Amino acid sequence: MTALEGILYDGRSAAPHPVTVRIDGARIAIAGPGMDATLDRSDIEVDSPVPGVARRLRLPGGAEIETADHASVDAAWPGRSNLTRVAYWLESRNLMAVLALVVTAALAWFIVTAVLPLAAEPVARSIRPEAEQVLGEQTLRSLDATLAEPSELPPARRETIEREFASLVDDEPAGNHIDLQFRRMQTPNAFALPGRTIVLTDEMVAFVQNDDELMGVLAHEIGHMAGRHALRMVLQQSGIAVLIAVLAGDAAGITLLAVAAPIALLNARYSRAFELAADDHAYALLQRHGRPLQPFADLLRRLAENRHTADPNDPLLRYLNSHPDLDLRIHRTEAAARGP
Amino acid sequence: MTEPADVSEELLPFSFTGRAGEYFRIWIVSLCLSLLTLGIYSAWGKVRKRRYLNAHTRLAGSGFDYHAPPLAILRGRVVALALFGGIALAGQVLPIAQWGLFGLLLLLMPWIVVASARFNARNSTYRNIAFGFDGRIGEAARVFLGGGALALLTLGLAYPWYRARRARFIIAHHRYGVTSFATDLRAGGFVTIYVLAAAMIGGAFVVLALGAAAIATIVGDATRDLESSSLGYALVLGLYAWYVAVYAYVRARTFNLMANATIVGALRLRGTLRARRLAWLYLSNVIAVLGTLGIATAWATIRVARYRAASLAVRTHAPLESYVGDTRTLAGATGSEVGDLFNMDVSL
Repeated sequence: MTALEGILYDGRSAAPHPVTVRIDGARIAIAGPGMDATLDRSDIEVDSPVPGVARRLRLPGGAEIETADHASVDAAWPGRSNLTRVAYWLESRNLMAVLALVVTAALAWFIVTAVLPLAAEPVARSIRPEAEQVLGEQTLRSLDATLAEPSELPPARRETIEREFASLVDDEPAGNHIDLQFRRMQTPNAFALPGRTIVLTDEMVAFVQNDDELMGVLAHEIGHMAGRHALRMVLQQSGIAVLIAVLAGDAAGITLLAVAAPIALLNARYSRAFELAADDHAYALLQRHGRPLQPFADLLRRLAENRHTADPNDPLLRYLNSHPDLDLRIHRTEAAARGP
Repeated sequence: MTEPADVSEELLPFSFTGRAGEYFRIWIVSLCLSLLTLGIYSAWGKVRKRRYLNAHTRLAGSGFDYHAPPLAILRGRVVALALFGGIALAGQVLPIAQWGLFGLLLLLMPWIVVASARFNARNSTYRNIAFGFDGRIGEAARVFLGGGALALLTLGLAYPWYRARRARFIIAHHRYGVTSFATDLRAGGFVTIYVLAAAMIGGAFVVLALGAAAIATIVGDATRDLESSSLGYALVLGLYAWYVAVYAYVRARTFNLMANATIVGALRLRGTLRARRLAWLYLSNVIAVLGTLGIATAWATIRVARYRAASLAVRTHAPLESYVGDTRTLAGATGSEVGDLFNMDVSL
């Protein structure tokens, strides 16, 4: 026979009644000041255990006995072996907590590096290009309102670029829908907006030494567009935001920065994968048109050299920072230029 | 015959006895199992975490209890997910349908507010007496949609008034057993808080602008190199810290305001959260959580819970024992299964 001490709350008033519960086989005797009752063990329902939380015995009629004596309760009501029992077992052991931490970290890393990129691709493909185009137009409008000035390229130069670009994309799926926009932005840059718009800056046109270099840059941007990288990036970032909210969403007052900082860190990782994929697309595209790859490698190399000498406030450096692992890209491009 | 009025007022403090190590184990197991089961376990995990936190929130020697059925929470989450998934999908097929569903969500908001307040109250007990929430959807619609629209139309000027009305609705419709909550909350307190918060944010920008102008005149633009960019980062971080501090100020003051205006029978709550202390907790939590890649989340939760409990007390003229449970709900526990669809926790 075992006995446990507890407090009975009858459910009718908030008054606590200290009681002693004697467990004798299936017979349960509850005794306290002004109280003496005998019940059958099966009449009493016990709650599922949580470590560090007092157990509650629910009596018929709505009364409840609260007790800290986990051991006696477990001995008298072994309970079914169910999910909450497993959880209790895990939660009671430091080793299991460490194991759970390792598994959680591994799973989170797996989701970030494998699941999200894999899932974002078909989702991006299922989104209508028209919907994405709206996003791209908005981006261009806000660029025009802030950073971008109208292009000052001579019309003849512009026409040459447009003609060469058209011949480059003639066999691309939906290639003739690509909208090439010229802007002046103080920065040698080219970028693909969501949808079907590529922006090329006057400064980039001035920076390249020949049209093969320029077509290399544009082929790279076409690669971003064909792979729908802008949209996939947004989707993957949203996935991380959801994941972080799930992982750390419990703590009050931290969500804003907690979501922004890891996204910024993981961006570099995603962006590198997209840059390499866009390069691969560019190699194939340039080769199909009998264009050399070496000029593209030369351009990348000159950009990399500039990086070492550039002033941190140089707009060029900001362009470079959006293209990480430039050395790796130069190496790959030169390998592709030498041929298989 | 007149009885002498009972002037003896008792001050009963809340306390929190949870420990970070113990809570960490519950938290990490919940997280791990939730990821492994594609989120299904999260409903069970939520109940276990909440039970731990409630049980260790203690008043006059007794803890609070939470016994929501995890399946109801899971159901609520599936509904919420379907709603949001539906909105996202509808946008793909027919953009107008998306706006229709957004409108539907807005119309559903009063119901969501009432249903989850009722769910949470009903499943929370203290000394085996359940809380309850009796707010009506119609009134919720007037308060949330009507008041919210007014706050928007007045460009935020009516926001403190809307906030007060919202808080009054939520507080006054709660009950503990058969004892209804009451509130003497006025909008004036909210006006002070939000005017001061706006002044704190506005003041920060004025100081920044003046500072930038001062730096420009003193050093000219000779230092346009590394130092100015690290100064930029410091400014952004400083602004973020200031934003967290203002957020903590609003949280602390509204918590105290609402607590001090909450009356339950013969007792009145007393909130004494201090904005500076809460801001320090929030900021150090951010640093700790980021620095440990999220591992410190459980510790951060426990610290905030401990401080919040330590800053809450009840002033009472009658012993807590005098509160009486609502035996009707006890008897009707099975009868409530009829309204099962409303018996869910929609966390949006």
